Amino acid sequence: MHGEAGTFVSLLPAAAVALPLASATAVPLLGRIRPTVRDAFVVAVVAADLAVVAAMVPQVAEHHRIVASVPAVVGGLAFAVDPFSLLFALFAAFVWFASTLYALDYLAHERHHDRYHVTNLVALASMLGVVTAADLVTLYLFFEALGLVAFLFVVHAQTDEAKKAGIKYFWMTVIGGFALFAGIMLTFYLGGHGELAPLPAGGPAALRWTAAALLVLGFGVKAGMQPVHVWLPDAHPVAPSPASALLSGVMIKAGAYGIFRTVTALFRPEVAEHLEERAWAFSEHLGLAVLWIGVFTMFTGVCMALLQSNAKRMLAYHSVSQMGFILAGIGAAGYLGAHGAMGIAGSLFHVLNHALFKACLFLGVGAVYLRTRSLDMYHLGGLWKRMPMTFAFMVVAAAGITGVPLFNGFVSKCIIHHAIVEAADLHHIASLGLAEKVYVVTCGGTACSFIKLIGLVFLGREKVETGPEVREASPRMLAAMGLLAAAIVVLGVRPQMVIRGIFEPGLHLWGLHPDILEEYLSEYFLSWGDISSVLVAFAIGATVFVIGMRTGLFHAHLPHWLSIDWWYQRAVRGLWCASGWVADGYAAYLRSISEALHDLQNWYERARVRIERAYRRAIALVTTGVADSEARRALARAELVLEVERQDEVRTAVDRTIRLLASAGVTDEAEWRDAIEAVRDSASYIAHRLFAVRLAAVQDAVRQGHAEAVLERIDGLVADAVSTRERIAAAAFAAASDRRAGRDVVRQLAAAANAAASEERFDLKVRAATRRRPVVADRLASQAETAPSHLAGRLGWASRARGGPAAATSWRCSRWMLDMLRLAADALTRERAGRVFDTSSSEESIVLTRQAITRYARDMSFNVAVIAVVLLVFVWSVVRW
Amino acid sequence: MEAGAQASWIVPAAVFTPLLGGVVAGLSGAWPETRRRLVLAAASILTVVLAGSVLVRASSGATQSVRLVKMTPQVWIHLRVDRLGALYGMAAAVLWLLALVYSFGYMADEHRLGRYYAFFMLSLAWTVGVAYSGNLLTFLVFYELFSILTYPLVVHEQTPEALAAGTKYIVYILIGGSLVLLAIVYAYFLAGAQDIGSPLLDLGMGRGQLLVVFWCFIAGFGVKAALVPLHGWVPDAHPAAPAPFSAVLSGMMVATGSFGIMRVVYNVFGVGLVRELAVMKQVAALAAFTVVFAAVLAMHQDDIKRRLAYSTISQMGYVALGVALVDAQAATGAIVHVANHAFMKGALFFCAGLIIKRLGVRSVREMDGVAKRMPVTAAAFAATSLAMIGTPPLAGFVSKWYLGLGILDSGQVAYLGVLVGGALLAGVYLLPIVYRMYFNEPAPVVEGSPLAQAGAPEAPATMLAPLAAAVLLVVVLGLCTTPAWSPLQLAKAAAEGFFR
Repeated sequence: MHGEAGTFVSLLPAAAVALPLASATAVPLLGRIRPTVRDAFVVAVVAADLAVVAAMVPQVAEHHRIVASVPAVVGGLAFAVDPFSLLFALFAAFVWFASTLYALDYLAHERHHDRYHVTNLVALASMLGVVTAADLVTLYLFFEALGLVAFLFVVHAQTDEAKKAGIKYFWMTVIGGFALFAGIMLTFYLGGHGELAPLPAGGPAALRWTAAALLVLGFGVKAGMQPVHVWLPDAHPVAPSPASALLSGVMIKAGAYGIFRTVTALFRPEVAEHLEERAWAFSEHLGLAVLWIGVFTMFTGVCMALLQSNAKRMLAYHSVSQMGFILAGIGAAGYLGAHGAMGIAGSLFHVLNHALFKACLFLGVGAVYLRTRSLDMYHLGGLWKRMPMTFAFMVVAAAGITGVPLFNGFVSKCIIHHAIVEAADLHHIASLGLAEKVYVVTCGGTACSFIKLIGLVFLGREKVETGPEVREASPRMLAAMGLLAAAIVVLGVRPQMVIRGIFEPGLHLWGLHPDILEEYLSEYFLSWGDISSVLVAFAIGATVFVIGMRTGLFHAHLPHWLSIDWWYQRAVRGLWCASGWVADGYAAYLRSISEALHDLQNWYERARVRIERAYRRAIALVTTGVADSEARRALARAELVLEVERQDEVRTAVDRTIRLLASAGVTDEAEWRDAIEAVRDSASYIAHRLFAVRLAAVQDAVRQGHAEAVLERIDGLVADAVSTRERIAAAAFAAASDRRAGRDVVRQLAAAANAAASEERFDLKVRAATRRRPVVADRLASQAETAPSHLAGRLGWASRARGGPAAATSWRCSRWMLDMLRLAADALTRERAGRVFDTSSSEESIVLTRQAITRYARDMSFNVAVIAVVLLVFVWSVVRW
Repeated sequence: MEAGAQASWIVPAAVFTPLLGGVVAGLSGAWPETRRRLVLAAASILTVVLAGSVLVRASSGATQSVRLVKMTPQVWIHLRVDRLGALYGMAAAVLWLLALVYSFGYMADEHRLGRYYAFFMLSLAWTVGVAYSGNLLTFLVFYELFSILTYPLVVHEQTPEALAAGTKYIVYILIGGSLVLLAIVYAYFLAGAQDIGSPLLDLGMGRGQLLVVFWCFIAGFGVKAALVPLHGWVPDAHPAAPAPFSAVLSGMMVATGSFGIMRVVYNVFGVGLVRELAVMKQVAALAAFTVVFAAVLAMHQDDIKRRLAYSTISQMGYVALGVALVDAQAATGAIVHVANHAFMKGALFFCAGLIIKRLGVRSVREMDGVAKRMPVTAAAFAATSLAMIGTPPLAGFVSKWYLGLGILDSGQVAYLGVLVGGALLAGVYLLPIVYRMYFNEPAPVVEGSPLAQAGAPEAPATMLAPLAAAVLLVVVLGLCTTPAWSPLQLAKAAAEGFFR
C-alpha cells in the first residue's frame, strides 16, 4: 500500500523530533544565565520546530509519504509522514507555539520555570515522535515518553491536589502503556511486522480481538476514552493553564491518533483485498465497538461537564466528551469500511478543530484565573468589560466547540454526523439511529455548557467586588489566543483547505474514494439541513440552561457508586489489600516454618537429653548395680560425702606432717617436699582403701533397700568417722618415713588401712543406722571387697526360690556377668580417677567436677568399647564371608 | 579440542588476574589505603580489558579454549569461552569494577578491609571462572568455590542479623550446591567426560535417569537463581551485606544460578532433548509464579534493600521464564536480561547504599525528599527504576521486548500477562520510592544522625562515579543494540547457536 507511493527519504521528521529534544538540554543552562534569554530561546525553538513541520508540507504534497530512520533501539527508530501524520504534527506544533508564547507571562506566578520549559520541549518532541512514527516500536517509545513527561505538567504546582491527580494520571498512563505493549506484542504474533500497515487476515479471532482491545485500551487511556478517562478531569485542571491547553488540546490526540491508526490502518484489509467478501468484517465490528464507546463517552462527558462549577474542570469533561465525537467518527470510519471516508475526515478534522478551540478555551480561562484567582463560574461575572479581547477570543472558541456555522467545529461535527447517519443507513441498524439522536442531544449539552460558561463568567454583572488587578491579559497571551482564534475562524470559513489539502490525498493513498467529501463540500456545507441541526442543538442547550439554572440541577451531586472512579479506587484498594494478605500470609508461613524448626530443635534437644539420661542410667546400672533412682541418688550422695572425707583425711595427714616438720625445725626445702609427698602418697593409699570399704558398706545397705535411710544419715555417719583421720595421719607418717628410707610399704599401708577399717566398722555403723540386720548381708558386709560372687550366689538363690531352675540359671549367669563387668569398670575407673585427680582439695564443687570428668572418661571408654565390638563383629563377618 | 577452537592465554589470564588481586588484597592488611586501592583497581581494570578482548573475539564467533590442569587422564580443568560465557564474564568484570570503585568510598570506615577486598576479588575470579568453564567439572569447581567463599562477604558486618543471614545463606547454598554436585556426577556417569559444546546427553540414556538429572540441576541452580520456593536466602542476605556486595550479589551472583540453568538447558541437555522430555512447562510455570509472587512481596517490604532483593527474585524469574519457553527469541531476552539486570540492579543498590550511608535511612517511609538532599542519587534511582519497569529506550525494555516476542513465538500467550504484570508490579514497588524522593517534603534533620554529621548529604564523586557509570550503561545498553559486541547481538548469536 505504501510501496508504490514512493519512499522519499527526508531528514525533516527526525529533525522535528530531535530539535526540541536537543534544545531541552540547554534550557537549564540558559535559565541560570538569564530567564528572558531562556524564554526567547524556548519560543524560538518551538517556532523553528513549527517551521520544520511546515517545511514537510510541500514534501508530503509531492511525495505523499516521506520517511526517515535513526539506528537505535531494537531495530532503530523509523519515521514516516503521510498526510494524516502531517495534520497531527502541524496542529501540534502550532498549538504548542501558542501555548509556549502564552506560558511566558502566565508562569510568572509559578515556580520551577526551567522544569516547565524542559518538560514542554521534551513533550513536544515526544508528541511529534508519536505522530510521525513509522512503526509501532517507535510509536510506543514516544508514546511512553509523552505519557511520563506529561506527569511533570500535571504535578507542576505541587499542591496536594496536583500530586493526587498526578499519581492517578501516572498509574493510568503506566497501565495504559502496558496494555499497549501487550497489544503491540500481539500484533507481532498476528503476523504484523510492527509497521502501521494492515495485519494479515486470519489468526485466531480471540487473539485478534484481544490485540485490538489492548491497543484501543492503551491508546484510549491517553485519549480520555470512557471508562478509562478518570484521570483526565483531575489532571487537566490542576496543570498550569498553558499545560492544560497542551494536555487537552494536543496530548490526548496522541491517544486518538493511536486509535485512529489501530482502526484504520492495523485492522483493515490490504488495498488489494478491499473488494473481497468479508474482508471488512473485523474492521466493521471493531468500528462498531469504537463508535459505541465514542457515543457513550461523548454523552457521559457532557453530562458530567454540566455538573461542574470549576471552569477548567468543566473544560476537561468537555475534552472527554469531544474525544467521544472523535471516537464516534473513527468508529464510523471502521464500520463503513471502504466507504468510511466521511468518518475518517470528520474525526480527523474534529481532532484538529478540538485542538484549536480547546487550547484557546483553556488559555482564556487561564487568563481569567490569572487575573481573578478564581475558577468558580458561579463566583465570576461581567468580565467582558474588563477583559474584552479575552472575551472575544473565548466567544470565538465557544462558537467553534458548539458548532456555530462559519466556525470550525461546525464542519467537523456535521461530517461526523453525516458519517453516523451513513452508518445507520448502511445496514439499517436501529440502534445506530439512537446513536444519532444521542449525538444531537450531546451537541445540545455542549451548547448549554458554553452558554453557561460565557454567560456566567463574562456576561451578567460582577458577583464579587474586584480591584484594578482584574484587567486585560498581557499582549503575548492575547497574541497566543488570537492565533488560535484566527485559525478557528479560517478553518470554519475555508474547510476546503484541510479537506482538499490533507484528507483527499491521504484517502487516495489508502485506496478510499474521497469523492464523497467533494460531495459534502458542494451539497451540504452551510446548507440549511446542517444549520437547522445546529439550531436544534442550541434550542436544546438553551432549554437545559434555563431549567438547570432555575432548578439547581447543575449543582446536583451524583451518588458515588455511579462514578467509575469510585469503583476503580475500590478495586485498587481491594487489590492492595489482597496483595497485603498474600504478603502477610507468606510472612505467617515463614514464621510457622521457623517455629516448626524451633520445635524440631527443641524436640531434638529433649530427645537428646532423654537418651543421655537413659544412657547414664544404664551406665550407672552397669557400674553400681542399682536401678532405682533414689538408690542411685543415695549412692551418689554417699560417694560424694565419702570422697570429701577421703580428701580431708589426706589433708589432715599432710597438715600434721607440716606441723611436725615445723616443730622439728627442718629447713631444707627438698626435705620438706619429699616428706610431704611421701605422706600424701601414703595417706592417699590408706584413705582410698578406707573409702572403698565404706562405699561398699553403703552400697550394700542401698542394695538392701535402705536408700532412704542412707540418704538421711550418711552425713552424720561420715562426720562420726572424723576420729579415723588422726589414725590415718599417724599411719601415713610412719609409712612415709619407711618409704623414704627405701622400704616397700604397700603391705604396711594395707595393714594400716585394714586396721583402720576394722577399728571403725563403718559397715556396722551403717547397719545400725538403717536398723536392719539381715544375716546374709551382715556376713557379706564384712567381706565387701570380695563379695560379688557370693552376692551373685545369694541373688541366684533368692531367684531360684521364686522361679524355675532353667530361668534361674540364665538369670544367675547374666547377673554374674553384669556384676563382673560392673566391678571391672568400677575398679578401673575409680582407681584411675583417684590417681589422676588426687589433689588435696576437698571442696564439694571440685569433687563434683572431678566426678563429672570421671564420668565423661567412663562414657568415652564405653563408646570406644562399643565401637571396638562393632568393628570386631564386622571384621568377623567379613572374614567369615 | 574441537575444530575452530583457538588456544589463547587471555582466557586464563582473565580468571587469574582477579585471583591474584584477591591474594594480594588478602596480604595487604598493613598497606596504606592508597596503594591497596591502586593495586586492586589495576587488577580489576585489567580483568575488564581481558574479558573485553575475550568478548570481542567471541563476538566474531571464535571459540577460545585452554586446558589447565589434568585431574584424571580424561578429566581436565578446562576453560572454553563461547558467546554466552564471554557476555556473562564481561558483565561480571564490569559490574565488579564499578562495585570495587564504589567500595573505595563506601567501605572507607569499615573494619577488616583486607578480608573484604580479598574475598571480593576472589569472587570475581570464581564468577569469571564459572563463565569460562569448558566442562562440567570445571564449572562445578568454580561454582562451589564461588558459592562458599562469598560467605565472608555476606557476614562482613558481623552483626547478629548478618550472621543469621549468613547461616541461612550457607545452608541454602550448600544444599543447592550438593544437588548440583549430585547432578553433575550423574551427568558424568551418563555422558562421560565431555566438553561443554554440543549437548552432552541424549534420549538413549533413559528417560527416568535424565529426568532425575534435570530436576537435580534445576533444584540446585534454582536455589542460587532464587526460584520461589527456593529463594529464602536472598531477602535476608541482601540487607545484611555491605551495599557494593549487595550490588554484585543481586546483579551477578543470583544470575549465576540462571546462567547454570542456561548451561543445563542449552549445553548439557540441549534444546531438542529438553523439548523431548517435556519438562519446561513446569519450569515456566514456576518461573512465572516467581515473577509475580516475588513482586507482590516486594510491594510490601519496608526496608529498601529487602525490597530490591525481592525485585531481584522477580527479575530472575523473567530470566528463568525466558529459558523455560525454549524459544530462540525468549532465550535472547533471557540472556540479555542477565546483562541488563546486572547494571540496573547494581545501580539501584548503589543508590540504596548511598542513601543508607549518607542519610542513615533504610525504610521506604523515610525516603521523603531525598531528591532535595541527594539530587544525583535520586535522579539515578529514578532513571534506573524506569529502566527496570521496561520504559523505552532504556535497557529493561530491550530484554522485555525480546521476552515478549519469545512468549508469542512459543505460543504460550498467557505468559504475556505475566511479563506485563511483573513489569507493572515493578512499577508499583519502585516508583512510590521515586515519588517520595521527589514530591514529598524531607523530614527535619535529626540531631546525631549521619546526615547531621555529614553536612553536605550528597555522596562524594568517588561513589557517584560508579553509580553514574552504571546508569550510563543502562542507557547505552538500551540505545546501542546493533554493534556485534553489544549484549543483544551476542545474545542473539548465542541463542541462534543453541537453537540451530
